[in-house]
Amino acid sequence: MATRQRFQVGGANHSVQVDESSGQILVRIDDGEAFEVDATTSGVPGLFSIIRDGVPTQAYVTREGKALRVVVDGRVFILGPVGAAGRQRGAAGGLSDPPGSLSAPLAGVVVDIRVKEGEAFEARQTLVVVEAMKMQNEVQAPMAGTVKRISAVLGARVEKGDVVVEYEPAEE
Amino acid sequence: MFKRVLIANRGEIALRVQRTCREMGIETVAVYSEADRNALHVRNADHAICIGPGPSAESYLAIEKIIQAARETGADAIHPGYGFLSENPEFVEACDAAGITFVGPPAAAMRALGGKISGRRLMEEAGVPIVPGANDIALDDMDTARREAERIGFPLLVKASSGGGGRGIRLVQTAADLENAMRASASEAATSFKDATIFLEKYVSPARHIEVQIIADSHGNVRAFGERECSVQRRNQKLVEEAPSVAVTPEVRGRLCDAAIAAAKSCGYRNAGTVEFLMDRDGNFYFLEVNARLQVEHPVSELVYGGVDLVAMQLRVAAGEPVPDPDAPLNPVGWAIECRINGEDPFNNFIPSLGLVDFLQLPGGPGVRFDTMLFEGLDIPVFYDSLLGKLIVWAEDRERAIERMKRALRDLIVSGPMTNQAFHLALMDHPDFRSGDIYTSWLEANFTMPDLPEEDPRLETALIAGGLAAGIIAGAAAEGTARPTGLTRWVRSARTMARRGIRVEGGTSGWRRGSASR
Repeated sequence: MATRQRFQVGGANHSVQVDESSGQILVRIDDGEAFEVDATTSGVPGLFSIIRDGVPTQAYVTREGKALRVVVDGRVFILGPVGAAGRQRGAAGGLSDPPGSLSAPLAGVVVDIRVKEGEAFEARQTLVVVEAMKMQNEVQAPMAGTVKRISAVLGARVEKGDVVVEYEPAEE
Repeated sequence: MFKRVLIANRGEIALRVQRTCREMGIETVAVYSEADRNALHVRNADHAICIGPGPSAESYLAIEKIIQAARETGADAIHPGYGFLSENPEFVEACDAAGITFVGPPAAAMRALGGKISGRRLMEEAGVPIVPGANDIALDDMDTARREAERIGFPLLVKASSGGGGRGIRLVQTAADLENAMRASASEAATSFKDATIFLEKYVSPARHIEVQIIADSHGNVRAFGERECSVQRRNQKLVEEAPSVAVTPEVRGRLCDAAIAAAKSCGYRNAGTVEFLMDRDGNFYFLEVNARLQVEHPVSELVYGGVDLVAMQLRVAAGEPVPDPDAPLNPVGWAIECRINGEDPFNNFIPSLGLVDFLQLPGGPGVRFDTMLFEGLDIPVFYDSLLGKLIVWAEDRERAIERMKRALRDLIVSGPMTNQAFHLALMDHPDFRSGDIYTSWLEANFTMPDLPEEDPRLETALIAGGLAAGIIAGAAAEGTARPTGLTRWVRSARTMARRGIRVEGGTSGWRRGSASR
C-alpha cells in the first residue's frame, strides 16, 4: 500500500510517497530515490521520531486548518494543500491580503473598529485595531475600497487569519 | 515568619515565588483573572481566588480586590512580583492599612524615588554620581534653559520628571532645537503623566545598562549582589541579561556597589531593589533610577552568587530578619546569562504570537534553569505581556555560558505560538555579542535577523513527518473498515491511539473542552 501526498511549502510544491507494503517504510520525496526510514510515534500525539541511515530527527505535527504545521528543530513549516485558492493560514494578513477581504495578522482582541459599513477608505488606512500582549496592532487596508461587511466585533477575540472586514476594492 | 503569603501576580514570577514559599513552609494564595483559570500558578497554590475578568485593570491592578482576597484567605503578607502593582505606593499603603505586610519597600521610599527630579536630588546629596544635567528649567525661562544646555553640551535629552517607558523623552542635537523639544516633552508629559515638569540631561551614548541588585533590611544593613549587564534591548525592553558584565572590573564593581548601597540608604529603602546605571565607554557610570521591586532578571545574580534565593531573602527581611552575610565577598563566581523567551514572531517584525501550546519539550541538564508559565495545553491569554519564560544558564566563564545557552535554546521546543528563540540563537553567535561590545542602542542599530535558509535540511524531515501524519489522519478517518493486518508496528500503535481518542490534533480548535480559558 503506497500513499502519495502533495504539499505546498512556502510557494513550492512537494510530493511525498510513503510505501509500507514491504513492512518497512519507504519514502520518496519529489520523485527522487526511495529511501527507508524507521518512524515511531509515542504517547504524545503528533510527535514523530524518524531515523534515516542511523541519523535521528524529530518533528511535531499538528493540523492547522487544511494544512499541517510541522516543527523541526525550531523551524515551523506549514504544509498546505497544493493549488488551494487564496492564502494559507500563517500568511501575514493585513497589508498582504488579497483584494476583497482584510484579515487579522495576529490573534488578539479587537479594541477599535475605525470604519462603518458602506464607508470608503484609502489604501493603508487603519480599519481595525487588534490588541495582543499589551501591544496595539493596526490592521491596515492594502488598497482603497468601500466596506461591505464588518465581521470583527468590538471586544471579541480574533484568531490569526480571521477575516475582520470585507470590502469592495475601489476602481483603478 | 509568615504563615500564608498572597502573590499578587501571574505567570512565571508567581510560580517562582510559590516555589520559595513552599520550601520555607509558607502557604501560598494565588489570585487569578478569569483568563488565567487554567494557569499553573492557580493549580500550584494552596488557596486560589478569582479576582475578575481578563483585562489587568479589572483584576491584577484592582487594589481593593487583592486586599479583599488577602483578608478572606487570612494572608499575612503580599508579594507583588514585578510589574502590575509592585511599584505602586497606594497599594503599599492599602496593605499597611489592612495590617498585611507588603514584601517590598515602604511607600515613602517608592515616592521619593518615583519622581526623576527628586531622585536626582536625593542621589546628588548621597554622593551617587548622576548624569550631568539641569533640574531647574522651565519653558517660561528659556534664557536659563539655553545657558544650562550650553553648560551640559549637545547632544542632550529633555526628560519628564514623571516619565516612564520612554515617553516624554526628546533628543536634542543643537541649541536651535531646544525650545521645540522642551515644548513637545512637557506637553507629552502633561498628557501622559499629568505633570509637565521637565529637566535636561547629558546624552550618554553609546552607553551600557548596568544595574546593581541590593537587599536592605530594617536594621540598617544593605547588601549588594554585584552587577547585571542588560544592554541588549529593543524599544527599551530588555531581551538578554548577564552577570557579571564584561565591562566591570573588580575595582569598578566595588564603586558601583558602594554607590548602590548609598542610594538605598539615602531614602530609607528596604527589601529587594535594583539600582540602574548608565556606563560610558570609559567606565564612568551615572545613576539612572531605582527599580523598587524584584526584577525579571534576578536569577542571573542568584546563580553567580552561590545560588542565593533572593525571594527567600525578600521574605526574611520583610519579616524583620537581618540580611545574612552583609560582608560576603563581592565578586561573582562563573557567568550567568538569561534569554527572555517571548511569544513573538522573529521573522515577522516580532509581532506578538499566541495560541494553544500543543507540544512542549523543556531544556535541562547541567547549569540550565527555565522559569516558565508554559505547559502543554496552555492557551496563552491575550491580555498580558509576551514573556513566556526565562531561560537561564550558568557556566564557569562567559564563552561556555554562551555555548550552553545555544544548546538549551535548541533543546527547548515550543509548538503553537511562535517564540523568539531563533533571534536568541542568532544573537549568541553575533561577533559583537561574543566580544561583549554591546550598548543599549546596539541591537536596533546593528542587528538584523538572518533570513531563513532556502535549502534547509529540516524541510526533508518536515515532509517525511507530514507524509506519515497525513497517512495516519486518513487511516483514522477510515478507522474500523479494515483489519489492520500487514501494517507496520508504528502505524498500528498510532491507530490504537486514534481509537482511544488520541490523534493528530487540529491547532487551537483541537483539545479544548469547555471554554473557560478564553
